[in-house]
Amino acid sequence: MIRKIRKAAVIGSGIMGGGIAAILAGAGVKVQLLDIVPFDLKEEEKNNPAARNRIVKAGFDAALGAMPALFYSPKDAGLVSIGNLEDDIQTLSECDWIVEVVVENLKIKKELFTKIEKVRKPGSIVTSNTSGIPLKDISEGFSKEMKQHFMGTHFFNPVRYMHLLELIPGAETLSEVMDFIAAFGEKNLGKGIVWAKDTPNFVGNRIGIQGIGAIAKAMIEDGLTIPEVDAIFGNALGRPKTAIFKTVDLVGLDTVIHVCKNSYERCPEDEQREALILPEFIDKMAEKKWFGNKTRGGFYKTDLTPEWKKLRKVLNPSTMEYEDLVKASFPCIDESKKKATLKEKIDCVLNGEDKGGKFAWKMAANSFQYAANRVPEISDTIIEIDNSMKWGYNFEMGPFELWDAYGVKKAVERMKKEGMAVPANVVAMLEKGNTCFYKLENGIKYFYDFALSAYKAVPVSKNKVSIAAAKGNNKTVLANKSASLVDIGDDVFCVEFHTKMNAINAEIVDTIGEALDYVDKNGCGLVIGNEAGGMPGAFSAGADLSFVSKLCHDKKFAEIEAFLKKAQDGIQRTKYASFPVVAAPYGMVLGGGCETCLGADRIVAHSELYMGLVEIGVGLLPAGGGCMNLWKKFITALPAKTAGDNNLAKFFVPAFMNVAMAAISMSAAQARENGYLGQADRIVYNRDNLIGEAKKEVLKMVDDGYAPPAKQPLIVMGDAGQGMVNTEIFNMLNGKFLSEYDAFLAKRIAFVMSGGEVRAGSAVDEDTILKLERDAFVDLCKEEKTMARIDHMLKTGKPLRN
Amino acid sequence: MRDAYIIQSVRTPGCKQNKGLYNQTRPEELIAFIMKAAVERTKNLKPEHLDDVMLGCAFPEAEQGLNLGRIAPKMAGFPDKVSGATVNRFCASGLEAIALASIRVQMGWADVTIGAGVESMTFVPMGGHVPRPHPEFSRTNPDMYISMGITAENVASRYNVTREDQDKFAADSQAKATKARDNGLFTEIVPTPAVKYVKQADGTYKKEQFIVQHDDGIRATTAEGLAKLRPAFAAGGSVTAGNSSQTTDGAAATIIASKEKCAELGLEPIARLVSYSTIGCKSDEMGVGPRYAIPKVLEQAGLTIDDIDIYEINEAFASQALYSIRELGIEKYMDRINIHGGAIALGHPLGCTGAKLTATCIANLKAVNGKYGIVSMCIGGGMGAAAIFERL
Repeated sequence: MIRKIRKAAVIGSGIMGGGIAAILAGAGVKVQLLDIVPFDLKEEEKNNPAARNRIVKAGFDAALGAMPALFYSPKDAGLVSIGNLEDDIQTLSECDWIVEVVVENLKIKKELFTKIEKVRKPGSIVTSNTSGIPLKDISEGFSKEMKQHFMGTHFFNPVRYMHLLELIPGAETLSEVMDFIAAFGEKNLGKGIVWAKDTPNFVGNRIGIQGIGAIAKAMIEDGLTIPEVDAIFGNALGRPKTAIFKTVDLVGLDTVIHVCKNSYERCPEDEQREALILPEFIDKMAEKKWFGNKTRGGFYKTDLTPEWKKLRKVLNPSTMEYEDLVKASFPCIDESKKKATLKEKIDCVLNGEDKGGKFAWKMAANSFQYAANRVPEISDTIIEIDNSMKWGYNFEMGPFELWDAYGVKKAVERMKKEGMAVPANVVAMLEKGNTCFYKLENGIKYFYDFALSAYKAVPVSKNKVSIAAAKGNNKTVLANKSASLVDIGDDVFCVEFHTKMNAINAEIVDTIGEALDYVDKNGCGLVIGNEAGGMPGAFSAGADLSFVSKLCHDKKFAEIEAFLKKAQDGIQRTKYASFPVVAAPYGMVLGGGCETCLGADRIVAHSELYMGLVEIGVGLLPAGGGCMNLWKKFITALPAKTAGDNNLAKFFVPAFMNVAMAAISMSAAQARENGYLGQADRIVYNRDNLIGEAKKEVLKMVDDGYAPPAKQPLIVMGDAGQGMVNTEIFNMLNGKFLSEYDAFLAKRIAFVMSGGEVRAGSAVDEDTILKLERDAFVDLCKEEKTMARIDHMLKTGKPLRN
Repeated sequence: MRDAYIIQSVRTPGCKQNKGLYNQTRPEELIAFIMKAAVERTKNLKPEHLDDVMLGCAFPEAEQGLNLGRIAPKMAGFPDKVSGATVNRFCASGLEAIALASIRVQMGWADVTIGAGVESMTFVPMGGHVPRPHPEFSRTNPDMYISMGITAENVASRYNVTREDQDKFAADSQAKATKARDNGLFTEIVPTPAVKYVKQADGTYKKEQFIVQHDDGIRATTAEGLAKLRPAFAAGGSVTAGNSSQTTDGAAATIIASKEKCAELGLEPIARLVSYSTIGCKSDEMGVGPRYAIPKVLEQAGLTIDDIDIYEINEAFASQALYSIRELGIEKYMDRINIHGGAIALGHPLGCTGAKLTATCIANLKAVNGKYGIVSMCIGGGMGAAAIFERL
């Protein structure tokens, strides 16, 4: 039998159930979303299907309306049917996978599974999304067949955005079922799989909650404030900027308290159990129902003045009063902001002599102890713990990676000196002369396996191709400080950007040219992709603005023109090279990054794709072929014979609006709807597999007998498009939706995208439009208001609307 | 010149664009039906007595194109000899058509004519499907293509028509329309067949007919409720969806016959077109049109504002309607203006509006036992039109 998920049931329509339904639908699975019939139905409502589905409808609507969006595209919602557990329970018999996501109550779950067992089809997979109840308690009394098909699938909130999926096998779960769910979770749902043991709160929350509890407790003992703690445990240590308490406000204090309680009650042997008794002030917050964002106040609170101005406040735990938020920092934190890499930042903070640095070290050491003591209790290796914290809590480094970054030996010596217990497994590792948890050798990443007392290769999905591993294996062909060309095997090469936010500078433009030459001689195809971290991360945030700014201020317009020409030539060469070039974008793909992708022969994109031509925000227009190639994506989507006969405005207006409004897609599905991705471009759900999938695409194109595209003139909207834009811009200007300068820029963009001063329906050479792009860009560089926009963006990171 | 008499004037209910009851009914069917109904309702008149049809339409393209002025009379079952033309003066197209139909009879070029109007804004939205402003002229004179909502904002801000006054005016329009509908006062309406495509048990679709009795855009509202709406056209503006006319589908027809033909066939005159005026104004405040067109037509006819018993001033926007009313000095006659509500409640089906308001005006003159009525509207591009009707 080849297992497939044709239809899945999600039982429980809360925020998790809705989120799971949304990504299943995004993966093309039909979803039956079920919830209970309301208890409080009035007599006349008892036979009313709408009333009986009230709860599930509300849950589904909440999932559809959630911000940030849970669905990749609202269209996906068409795959979800809703129903209730009384009238529609029979639909479970059609489902290949049934996910339970109901309230964390063993009795309720057991009753539900009894119902499920009666109707499910044999062989179907049944899983629970419980975050804390042991699976063995839930599965007690199941038939053998059901036990064999039962396991835990623990998603994290918000489901679409959190990479982690913890899988927890039961004692009797068939390995075929485990393998299938792991593969489906990885490929179709895009998740990072962590195998967890059936221990309370599994891996992510067991480690995560101890961290929160221990830090909250220590904060009171050491007399730090909430903003001080958040200043330490944010970006400075490679954690999300919501740090500790803003994260709790986001998740909900009630949930955090629940998880703490669960760990405390179910882990009597836990040496750090006392950390799970949260400080008294948090109990008081719970009494007052100050649960965070959902109750409009938690550790932080935002008040509005009568003038709608935001007043940010923070709780003072000793008085239980909200006080005006004053930004907190420490010298070591300020210093760390100047450091380029996370390792340098970590050194700076953990070695800091000030109160903040000392506190950071104390809690880091505490987390090292706790994590090392959890192996093998909650997971067999350190990998699961690190991955859980990276994927479920958005840490850039898990505890063992952070420990490596600080230096294992150095940390252990300091811990000993300061009288802290050092976990025995780590002492043993050091005694054997092994001083790190991870190491890279010949392109293979190894981890230290405590059970074997030796290093072992980190298992890698066969779908994954790692640029870092290839580089570690001496496969770098070309390299400079901005970009590298790496041999990723099978005659396929990858151009990797590695500037800050992968901004495109002159060096990258040169490297692309050199890469094309190299691959022309030595390869069969090229991938343009990178593995920079972060959530959502940046494939490329656009052209290096400081470079453009300098040229503008120095009035080096000929140089600007030459730079653009070179960039355009590079992009045109990728399109017309004799070999396939596949771009592998993910996360932020803005401006020049977007243009790079539009110029490729094909795009293999991650489902989380924030793609757009946003140049107008800095007073410019896409001039790396972006105006032309976006229009080309639209016009060439039509059968060639029909293109000339069409009402081109239907294509021109949306293409133009994308650029004039600096529209950014909120998913790859939306990028397709916006026209940035064409029908041949592919969407990959798992970012870890992106380079591997792009490489596969190259090989497939080669295998199919790659025929480079022929260069042909493009049919354009001509001055008829400019007339339309002139009038619409006039309306928007009068409606005060645009500034005068926005209007000026938009008209120039329309001129370029419509092919200049030509009649509607004319066929214009690509080079003509490219020249219009360059001319416009250079002209705009001479405008004071453009320079003001660029400088403002460089200074503040925000667009100026002048 | 001969005397030309109106012997019939009727309209279909108006139904909201896209969401309304005509959203699957083609405009040709609406206009063909109302012309046919107009003839059938007129004692002693047969289709073969007709000479010509003047059909107003603001966007005569797509479903409203292909020579609709000729197609509609044929769809109405009129004989081959009944000719027709499509007439376009944007929002005054229907009134222009009635004026042309009258002139033809007055001049002796025809004995019996129809002046009519139709617009399905569902099928052909405002602006049409293929708007192509001239590339250079749109650069120097973009105001000639300006959005109507912006002109309404301009009128409101230039002439101090407050949001509160606009909302109150809009709420009054809805209240008057509600009352008129509930009391059966829209005597000019002919219940009109519409169609919808209905999915059958076997998954295929079939067109099914149903009858529309009332204007479907009338809604219960208050000035306070309207005050909550966001500006629709300008950031920080005062013009909202609630104090603007509704975009609507509808059709209307008026039959005109010479005095001689009335006597010959035994047709009963009910009214006559006394005079008609059009005038240009600034395009970026086109809503002021009635304020200039009405004095002009009154002067032509030798009448004053006090002689008029019924005013049908198209409520394209509350801002421009209110401005015009104030400037004309007829605020004292609010009980004569749009007595059964206006386009804010009943809709403004562009090219149909002039024909529709003529039917309403004549019906309302009868209801109040009045003599003179005015139909007037502003016109995109910066114009106003006004016509005086006398009830006979």
